[in-house]
Amino acid sequence: MASASISKGTAQSRKHWDRKWIPYVLLAPALITIFVIIISPLLTTIYYSFHNIDLIRDRTTFILFDNYIELFTSRLFWKAVEINLKFAAIVVTVPTLMGLFFALLLVEDFKGRGIGRTLLILPWALPWIVIGLLWNWLVNAQFGAINGLLYSLGLIDKYIPFMANEHWALIFTALASAWRQTSFSAILLLAALQTIPEDLYDAAKVDGAGMRARFRFITFAWLRPTLTIVLLYNIVLGFLQFDAVWIMTQGGPGDATMLISVLLYRYSFINFDLGMGAAVSNVLGLITMGVGLIFVRLIYRSQSTYA
Amino acid sequence: MVVNRGVFHAGIMRKVCTYLAFFCLLFWVGFPVYYMLMTSFMDPPELGAKPPNWIPRQPTIENYREVIIGETGQRGSYGSTTEFSRMMPALLNSTFVSVAVVVSNLIIGGMAAYGFSRFDFRLSRVAYLGVLMTRVLPALALIVPLFIILRKIGLINTLWALIFTYTIFILPLTIWILREYFDTLARDIEEMALIDGATRWQAFRMVVLPLAVPGMIAVGVMSFMEAWSEFFFALTLTNSLTYPPLLMSFRNLAQVNWNALAAATVVGVIPPVIVAFVFQRYLVRGLSEGAVKG
Repeated sequence: MASASISKGTAQSRKHWDRKWIPYVLLAPALITIFVIIISPLLTTIYYSFHNIDLIRDRTTFILFDNYIELFTSRLFWKAVEINLKFAAIVVTVPTLMGLFFALLLVEDFKGRGIGRTLLILPWALPWIVIGLLWNWLVNAQFGAINGLLYSLGLIDKYIPFMANEHWALIFTALASAWRQTSFSAILLLAALQTIPEDLYDAAKVDGAGMRARFRFITFAWLRPTLTIVLLYNIVLGFLQFDAVWIMTQGGPGDATMLISVLLYRYSFINFDLGMGAAVSNVLGLITMGVGLIFVRLIYRSQSTYA
Repeated sequence: MVVNRGVFHAGIMRKVCTYLAFFCLLFWVGFPVYYMLMTSFMDPPELGAKPPNWIPRQPTIENYREVIIGETGQRGSYGSTTEFSRMMPALLNSTFVSVAVVVSNLIIGGMAAYGFSRFDFRLSRVAYLGVLMTRVLPALALIVPLFIILRKIGLINTLWALIFTYTIFILPLTIWILREYFDTLARDIEEMALIDGATRWQAFRMVVLPLAVPGMIAVGVMSFMEAWSEFFFALTLTNSLTYPPLLMSFRNLAQVNWNALAAATVVGVIPPVIVAFVFQRYLVRGLSEGAVKG
């Protein structure tokens, strides 16, 4: 009896000792480095956005909202917003719909499903820089595959310089982004589809639910939370995409593919106007964060209805 | 239309639709990749053929020789340059960076995830939320201050700048996924081990760690992919030490041998593609776990 109570006592005191410092040691490396590399640059960016930074004379002047006022009254910014909205529309709809299509296909039982599932991962495994190059290849005016295909099929008799055309340039940069994002969306949706219990369908059949009803009330209802997340990711990509577009067009021709992120790059690294660049990045950050928060709320709401 | 399993009865129409859809998938993914692969086995004169040769008439591995051993031979007239000799060192650098990111990310992220999971105090909740917010920030927006910080520490244009940055940007996701593992797995068993007199460390090593292995593989694979692919930081923080920015510099050469560029692209995506295929299961798991809670 006595020995048992003693050992219990030491275990408890050790636990108490644990609680005091272990959590701080465990969290410190992550929190400190995240502060140095993410939070402090973030605060600096907010600070910059209220200042005019003259790199040549090395002078920083506080100007309150002037950067933001200049931004919101400039035609360039609203043009970028408009272009970005069109771009995002493609990057949201194409991957979501195609992703759903491929996920529904790959949950079917057929020969080739294994190949299909493996192949589906491939675009996602490619870096954005490669996606950009790959699509440059497809749309190239001298040896592009799309031109080659249309020509072989006899649909055109002269190669089309797609990237010299404003509309095509925007469509193809968006499609390049959509190409990789489709795989990502399909992977997530397929994973969710595979968790649907088969007996849900059997029960529905017994209850006399038709095909359409079963799709709507079982498949779609089950996928809803995942679809919400897929949409969120696609919207965020629609606003944060830079790499693939920069590689393909650098914002051109003219300003045809000047997304907000490209505008941000131009201000910061071409004009070296760090104050304006910071203002653009904060606006962009607020957009994506706003989207994120809306979706987090939607997800919580849907969870509470379905759980 | 192909609809989810159990919805249709088996029928010939359904089969036809399935294979039509499968063909769409093959074309959507396969066509762009095939075209690049095929280009990499062609000599430049063949590339301009009209209509294009969908299968190279005279397949050649010269492009790969040029990229891998930096030998241009008689091909100077094709716009080949010695630039391509930077390819192999860049691939080695990329490998080093990616592996280092995986290791440091698992250690730092694993520690923090375990801390968040087992010690629920007020600071941890605030910090945890902060960690999650970082996931929707545009990385592009942070580059200028980040550059200044890294220059002060003296890491600019070193591989360490990339290792440091990538590790930290992937940390939130790692913590997110691993915390869930630590939360759901082994809590009771660990408590029992603690009551039996095991130290925290022993309980962690013998009970928690083995059970968290699938989650750690998933996280490790994802951080490898991120580190291998990241372009923008690599472009701004270093002078094309790793594969992605180097590829961009090939692209910007005044006179570029497109076929060698294709070969360089193919060689550089072999590691992530192999990793993705080998760890397919873990990857899907990691992706959906990271996303479903995002």
